[in-house]
Amino acid sequence: MVLFLEINTEEMPPAHVKIALEQLGEKFKEELSAQNIYVGQVETYGTCRRLIVAGNFAPRQDDREEEIIGPPKAVAIGKDGSFSPAAKGFAKAQGVRVSELKVIKTERGEYLGLKKIEKGKPTRDILSEILPQIISSLSFPKMMRWGESSFRFSRPIKNILCLFGEKVLSFTIGGIRAGNLTRGHKIYSPKKIRVESFGEYRETLRKMKVVIDQEERRRMILNQMVQKLASLKATLHPDEDLLEHIIYDIEYPHVFLGSFPEEYLNLPLEVLSTAMREGQKLFSIVKEKKQIPFFLGVADAYQDSKSLIQKGNERVLKARLEDAKFFWEQDQKITLKDREKGLKKIVFQEKLGSYEDKAQRLKKIVAYFADKIEAKKEKKQVIQAAELSKVDLLTEMVREFPSLQGKVGGLYAKKEGYPAPVWKAVCEHYQPVSLDDESPSSLTGSILSIADKLDSIVGVVGIGIQVTGSKDPFGLRRNAHGVCKVVLERKLCFSFSRLLDKVLVVYGEKLRKPKDGIKSYCLDFFSNRLRYIFERQGYRYDLINAAVSVGIDNIYHSYLRLKALDSLKESPNFAPLILISKRVNNILRDQPLFRINTGLLAEKEERELHTTFSIIKNNVLPLISRGDFSQAQRIIFRIRSSIDKFFDNVLVMTDEKRLRRNRLALLQAISKLFIQVADYSQIVIEG
Amino acid sequence: MGLINQIPTVYKMSIQNLIMNLQKFWADQGCYLAQSYDLEVGAGTMTPDTFFRVLDKRPWKVAYVQPSRRPTDGRYGENPYRVQKHFQYQVIVKPSPSDIQQIYIESLIALGIDLQDHDIRFDEDDWEAPSIGAWGVGWQVLLDGLEITQFTYFQQAGGIDLFPVPVEITYGLERLEMFLEGKDNIFDLDWSDDVSYHDLRFFEEKEFSEYNFNHANVKKLKESFLWNEKEAWQLINNDLLLPAYDMCLKCSHFFNLLDSRGAISVTERVKMIAQIRGLANQIAQKYIARENSA
Repeated sequence: MVLFLEINTEEMPPAHVKIALEQLGEKFKEELSAQNIYVGQVETYGTCRRLIVAGNFAPRQDDREEEIIGPPKAVAIGKDGSFSPAAKGFAKAQGVRVSELKVIKTERGEYLGLKKIEKGKPTRDILSEILPQIISSLSFPKMMRWGESSFRFSRPIKNILCLFGEKVLSFTIGGIRAGNLTRGHKIYSPKKIRVESFGEYRETLRKMKVVIDQEERRRMILNQMVQKLASLKATLHPDEDLLEHIIYDIEYPHVFLGSFPEEYLNLPLEVLSTAMREGQKLFSIVKEKKQIPFFLGVADAYQDSKSLIQKGNERVLKARLEDAKFFWEQDQKITLKDREKGLKKIVFQEKLGSYEDKAQRLKKIVAYFADKIEAKKEKKQVIQAAELSKVDLLTEMVREFPSLQGKVGGLYAKKEGYPAPVWKAVCEHYQPVSLDDESPSSLTGSILSIADKLDSIVGVVGIGIQVTGSKDPFGLRRNAHGVCKVVLERKLCFSFSRLLDKVLVVYGEKLRKPKDGIKSYCLDFFSNRLRYIFERQGYRYDLINAAVSVGIDNIYHSYLRLKALDSLKESPNFAPLILISKRVNNILRDQPLFRINTGLLAEKEERELHTTFSIIKNNVLPLISRGDFSQAQRIIFRIRSSIDKFFDNVLVMTDEKRLRRNRLALLQAISKLFIQVADYSQIVIEG
Repeated sequence: MGLINQIPTVYKMSIQNLIMNLQKFWADQGCYLAQSYDLEVGAGTMTPDTFFRVLDKRPWKVAYVQPSRRPTDGRYGENPYRVQKHFQYQVIVKPSPSDIQQIYIESLIALGIDLQDHDIRFDEDDWEAPSIGAWGVGWQVLLDGLEITQFTYFQQAGGIDLFPVPVEITYGLERLEMFLEGKDNIFDLDWSDDVSYHDLRFFEEKEFSEYNFNHANVKKLKESFLWNEKEAWQLINNDLLLPAYDMCLKCSHFFNLLDSRGAISVTERVKMIAQIRGLANQIAQKYIARENSA
């Protein structure tokens, strides 16, 4: 039977619509399956003004068979086959005759009991209970109240339509009673109309200028765009995020082509496309990667017969471009160097001081960091870039288009004749803003990007702000992802904990929290972020644990460890090594550290193990410091036969104290070597 | 039909007619038409008709024009869009009616805009004034890409949940008129049949930009800020909340002037904002306590 739900609201942010549709789809499946109702196909559709679920559900709950266990058979039935008072009592309590009781075999023996069949309730009854719960359990990044109700949702709900099997399924939520009415497009068809079924609704709404299917709207937009672009022989400047936003932002798409005066083409593409995207949500059009004086817009309309929408947008865009051009020209009248002193007037964070303070810190951090990764050539340039990096916050252009921070500074630095490694570093140092964003293309940009993000993380943690669940007010996760992404892609090797020390020293007395605490929080935080990144790349969680839990002082090496584990996980030596490692760990648990005395190696097998181990160790250590964990592991595998023999023939926990301690010491040394490659004990062996 | 009902909506384009149309429309919705507040404020939302009245539990419907000063936005009358003083049309309705969005759309139709020929969008734009523990959820309304209105459901003020929920609709009169007249320069707008925006406001913009950026006396402004703050606290202690709030508004304006003079350091900025926040918060708290006990 078809359930059809439509929640009609005032304009929800597109991101909210996407989240709500995901939640609705999942919750319907989960909640109804949990109620023993067969769930068929569940489809979700949505626009900024409506959330729609259409699903197929069984008309009733499945019947449920229940076993009720009574007294043991031995107690319930006498030798002569008669029922004891215990059996009679049980039957009475269950409301059945004694003869209806059956013998039920359980793990604990035979019992007297009965099987009851619970008839399933009609799905309709269950839905009217569950639906209000599902709707009120939807969670949004920010929720609101309206009118005189304490009910919270993304935006005010105006109407709810709910049909089950083409009959109204009524319930009340937030003071709104579900019925069989809906409305069309807010301008063309604002009046309520009656709906009989989902199929009919879909077609009626199309006539009322609402296309409910987001994918259909996407196709309509793209088709219309292709048509408009054909005559220009040009392409869209790709912007997936913007398209994804617009798809949910409208109910009926009309793509319009507009133009702007050529004089604005002097502005860089970054500035032009940002001026178009922000506010008006227009798309740039390019030919051979250069902007041409046209744009595409998507209106929530079915036509623009008088071209008023197009002309209105052209007028607004022209004003924005005029502003941008003015800023572009005005800003360049003052050099970045001259602007610099203004940085002390902008607050980075109340307790962490101004952007001047931040720039000063960055200079010190990048100088240290460049040394550590042996970027000798780049050191001077990246210090210069650090000094300039935040100056564009003082420009009119960034004040108008905050998302252009960094880019604008870089473009101005380029115009002022700074060398490419300097201006590129300024341009790129906010990148990557997410795991899907591109990392800086320059080494200088990478160094500055890492320094800037670490400075923010350490500072914010240092004043006592922590990331918990959905709370991450300073985007620390995003920053940490950026750091990891750059390190991994650039294959940078350095001591992460010493870099943290450096940042802490540079902050000096500004941070109120104890330095050790800040550092261990940061290390922990980064371990978790690395785990997240690796999981996202599809690695097995236990391999990730094995690689990351041995410490992330060298972030890139953590990745190499993981890759080595991943590449060797099918090797026949892998499982035995893990078993050995677990066995060693078990024996060593709760033991204090002991030292090996070779003179005390009594048995042949322990002498052999010691020799093999020493050779392996000498070979493996240089490989580890080079990051060649695959080869290191292959060599470690060779310990297997010696260690097997050792365990077969030598009693570790012997009563003789000195021998016992010496054997434990040998195993401790082996374990210590293992752990430099990975914590094998974390790995789960399948089968 | 009586004569009164036959007064037609005025379609001739001018700011004056725009105001008259909005006044009539919102009066018909049951709003009391307030007069502009007589102190310098940064936005219509700062006047007592909004600030205090959204806090209590009583129904409230008000509409008014509010000249709004933002000294740092001054451009000496040389920028076609930016001015250090502009006019807002402010509407507060509490509790927010369930069809308020439709009513707003009708107000645009009443201004003579045929929405069938245009693209009207409600674009997520939440409002937040952390300095007074206030925030709301809403949109900027775009008409063919032009921002003409802020539309906000207030949620909290002074850190307290507002109940019932007020809705605030703030039309930018100059923006809206530029749309209606199809003009690209604010100074080309008509205020009335024969007075232009330029006639009325150009010299004011030029002179006030000069004053805001170059002449305002920094030392005296800082002193005035402190004196008004002190006075406000004294008034709060005497339960004179409306006069105290006036003092708070003055502090806010002096702060804006000092800001446009570039005379506020980082630490001063933080401190001064905290001082204004402290006042506004305390006034709101006391007002709520007084209303709830009444």
